[in-house]
Amino acid sequence: MGKKKQTLHHILNTESAAGVICTLPFTIGFLLFMIVPMGISLYYSFCDYNILTPPVFSGLKNFQKMIHEEVFWTSVKVTFKFAFISVPLRLVFALIVALLLFRSTKMTGIYRAMYYLPSMIGGSVAVAILWKRLFALDGVVNKIFMAFGMKEPISWLGNTKTAIWTLIILAVWQFGSSMLIFLSALKQIPVSLYEAAEIDGANKWQQFWKVTLPLLTSTIFFNLVMQMINGFLAFTQSQIITQGKPADSTLFYTVYMYQQSFQFGNTGYGAALAWVMLAIIALITWLLFATKKLWVYEGGF
Amino acid sequence: MKKRLLATLLCAAMAVTTLAGCGSDNSGASGNTADSGQTAQQSTDTGNGGQAAANASTEANLVFAWWGNQTRQERTEAAIDLYSQQNPGVTFDAQPAAWDDYWSKLATSAAGNSLPDLIQMDYSYLEQYVASGLLADLTPYVDNGTLDVSNVPKSLLEAGSVDGKLYAIAAGVNAPSLLYNKTLMTELGIEVPDNMTIAQFEDICKQVYEKKGIKTDLPYGASDNYLPYLARANDVTALFNKDEKKMNMSDSTPLVDYFQVYQDGAEQGWVIGTDIHAELQNNSVEQSPLVFYSSEASQAWCAFFWSNQMEAMQKVADEKGIEIGITTWPSKDPKKSNFLKPSQFFSVSRDAGANEEAAVKVVDFLTNSVDANNILLGERGVPASSVVADAISPLVSETTQEVTRFINDVVSPNCSAISPAIPDGANEVYDESNKLVDKVLNKEIDAKTAAQNLFDKGNEIMASK
Amino acid sequence: MHKKRKIGNIIYHVLVLAFGLVMIYPLVWMVMSSFKETTTIFTTATKLIPDKFVLSNYSTGWKGFAKTSFAVFFKNSLFISIAATIGTVLSSAIVAYGFSRCRFKGRGLLFAAMLATMMLPAQVLMIPQYLWYQKLGWVNTYFPLIVPYWFAIQGFFVYLMKNFIDGIPRELDEAAKIDGCSYYTIFTRVIFPLVKPAMITGLIFSFMWRWDDYLGPLLYVNSTNMYPSSLALKMFADPSSSSDYGAMFAMATISILPAMIIFFTLQRYLVEGISTSGLKG
Repeated sequence: MGKKKQTLHHILNTESAAGVICTLPFTIGFLLFMIVPMGISLYYSFCDYNILTPPVFSGLKNFQKMIHEEVFWTSVKVTFKFAFISVPLRLVFALIVALLLFRSTKMTGIYRAMYYLPSMIGGSVAVAILWKRLFALDGVVNKIFMAFGMKEPISWLGNTKTAIWTLIILAVWQFGSSMLIFLSALKQIPVSLYEAAEIDGANKWQQFWKVTLPLLTSTIFFNLVMQMINGFLAFTQSQIITQGKPADSTLFYTVYMYQQSFQFGNTGYGAALAWVMLAIIALITWLLFATKKLWVYEGGF
Repeated sequence: MKKRLLATLLCAAMAVTTLAGCGSDNSGASGNTADSGQTAQQSTDTGNGGQAAANASTEANLVFAWWGNQTRQERTEAAIDLYSQQNPGVTFDAQPAAWDDYWSKLATSAAGNSLPDLIQMDYSYLEQYVASGLLADLTPYVDNGTLDVSNVPKSLLEAGSVDGKLYAIAAGVNAPSLLYNKTLMTELGIEVPDNMTIAQFEDICKQVYEKKGIKTDLPYGASDNYLPYLARANDVTALFNKDEKKMNMSDSTPLVDYFQVYQDGAEQGWVIGTDIHAELQNNSVEQSPLVFYSSEASQAWCAFFWSNQMEAMQKVADEKGIEIGITTWPSKDPKKSNFLKPSQFFSVSRDAGANEEAAVKVVDFLTNSVDANNILLGERGVPASSVVADAISPLVSETTQEVTRFINDVVSPNCSAISPAIPDGANEVYDESNKLVDKVLNKEIDAKTAAQNLFDKGNEIMASK
Repeated sequence: MHKKRKIGNIIYHVLVLAFGLVMIYPLVWMVMSSFKETTTIFTTATKLIPDKFVLSNYSTGWKGFAKTSFAVFFKNSLFISIAATIGTVLSSAIVAYGFSRCRFKGRGLLFAAMLATMMLPAQVLMIPQYLWYQKLGWVNTYFPLIVPYWFAIQGFFVYLMKNFIDGIPRELDEAAKIDGCSYYTIFTRVIFPLVKPAMITGLIFSFMWRWDDYLGPLLYVNSTNMYPSSLALKMFADPSSSSDYGAMFAMATISILPAMIIFFTLQRYLVEGISTSGLKG
């Protein structure tokens, strides 16, 4: 009896058993809360469905429709542009500010709060309104540019070339979450490494390139993957500020999907759009993971 | 004071006669007008009568969902509290939400067969909800007397009916309203007549622009309102043909007028452009160029709204010392274009089940009880029941009284029946139209091309439904 | 040398402060607007300082909706956010440990599933999720807003902590193993204390995101006295009648406070000297 207990204890303490048990909360949560809804939505993507009446199976119709929709392609382009510009910018800002705010002074707490606050207010209607005021013809942005010699105010939100940039700037402005993650990663780097580098005669600049950056690569990678996913799924900025205007130049993919699903009664088509997006993001994430070995330092210290 | 009270009462009394005038068939309503001469006293009795009937009811907990702002939440909650007091055993779960959220949530609960018992319904969703069998047929309750509609004009009952069955009771009456800067027009010595034609309207737009540099705010992102309004003048009362899955017209001609106004405005320079609109919260009273501007170039002398929004507009305008005037939307044939619209309805859902009768009684209460409407005070628009409208008219604000006068004296005598409720697919067509308006405003295409594009795209969208 | 350092310090503070002010300008605008009379907010939008400071927006806003004051909405938000956040942080830490330290069959697949749940737009799951929670009888309760978070369903937090645990030297595990620790006691005694900074970061995010979330409450909460503040905030604006932007800004301002307080009290753990983590090089 006692021996049996010991074996059970022993089995439970093997690496693979521990792994299964520790990840069990997610496994249960996934099976209980995610798999069924995901399955239903996958089914919808093959249906004619408008929420109000029960879905009717329609095969690949929704996916075929996509290829011929001009707006679909526009929204894909807009989303790629938004993600590929805003994400790197956001990360660079987050990293620079994190490095600046890593040093401890009396003001550090306040500084960090200042830089993190914009991320705190998220995407409420209040943000939409103040963002539009900021970039209005008589807004602060134009006033600043005109103080530096610009003759005519620019209609930032009304121009198909500039409107997307107001949303990109909003995304970059809210870099706080990536900054915090960088900060907690910076804290993890042992002081001894810097001390050793200093003994070797490395200056601050060299220390950054030789110690800080390599040890941050895994965090940079993490932020990159997460922000890429976020960037492709960005919704609020476009939905509350521009609704895709002008001329669909800011129509995010998810906004297009939302309009189709909830406003135009093409919910089945909307579901199909969502699954195509999943495929796109999965592909990009996979590509990122494939390059991981080339530049991410994963050893211990 | 007394004189004004009498005047409003008279006006309201007239409302009944004239409201009925917009129906396609007046005969049913004529009987009701006789009662309307009698005043609040009698209508209080109606309220009590409703109460007595409801007292007999059993216990029920009703879920009541609506959209709207803080004022509406307060008043509606107070009114249903009163109902609970008068009908012990009936309790409410209030479910207020913002407009967009409201419809997402309602659709989701429809998918889950768990719609609220009482639903505030909008005309633009009525057809789809009825077609999907989500609303309870109220006709039997009218027949057995549970729901008293004897004081509701026939035209409003028709608006809440689909295929001859009653699904929704109007909560208030609205009319398309051009709100304008009266102070400015007096200063410029320009008279703004009611029932303007488009030519008259454009002439004013030009004058104001030439004299002051102040522009005109044409409906923006709101094709669902002004496009059908102008199409009605071309005898197209329904834009969509659901059965044949196409646009309800043989070619794009009836749509041209709509885009032509924008083209004229863009060519002559008096229209507020897409760049200004990009900076505003769409269709918000508070950010309408009528009251919210930084220079003449972003200011408008008028804006297209609904009559129940005048009060809010005047409130904001007070800040700038502007007096707001109200008139009809311009159209080449105002009588054909104009109509009265239920600002919203009360409906009972299919999922109410055992609560159905209890819910219908609440609709009756909200429609006919003077006590309830003394609390609601026409916040949803002029009350549908003529008796109730009479009774509360002394209590409402001066601006609201002016709105009532506008509806009774200007719109009612000169309007046609409301267009049928829009089917699935219509919103997508209207969205397309909004995009085409942008192109016309930016002079990328002309009105004819826009109309043709909309006609083609509209047929395509309707065919896919 | 000393002087040069001092000048450098001044430049540092001036720059960081100046840029910081640019960052928070829009927020200052919102806070200032909340003290303007509600009808003047837009007409005086270009002015930052109100002509007249009024508190009326706060009093009308605080009244809330349909007899339920904003105090109730805040209480609800606090309850939901705290309950969901504790669950998220604890469950994500354990799951992250499993992913980071143990190789087991199906690990890659499970990790991919976790990433995949993040890649599907949330809006598309609204209806299916509603139908499923309805089957579970969870509609009109807080369960859908809290329980799933105790099962680490937000891959972001799992990955965040896994990444952090990856950075903790394995030598510590080995040493603990020699001392007789099992995989589970390694987690509780060694990893858990060290993963705190990541947990605090996660806590700050999770609280804020749960606080801001309104799609979930919109679908699952059916009575006004159970609404969280995120949902209530949206009801100040109604394009079909009129909006009270003053009250909205006022309540939006108050809404940021809890997240701010949490940030201020916890951020020092991100500042504190590196030595506390006691890692060997």
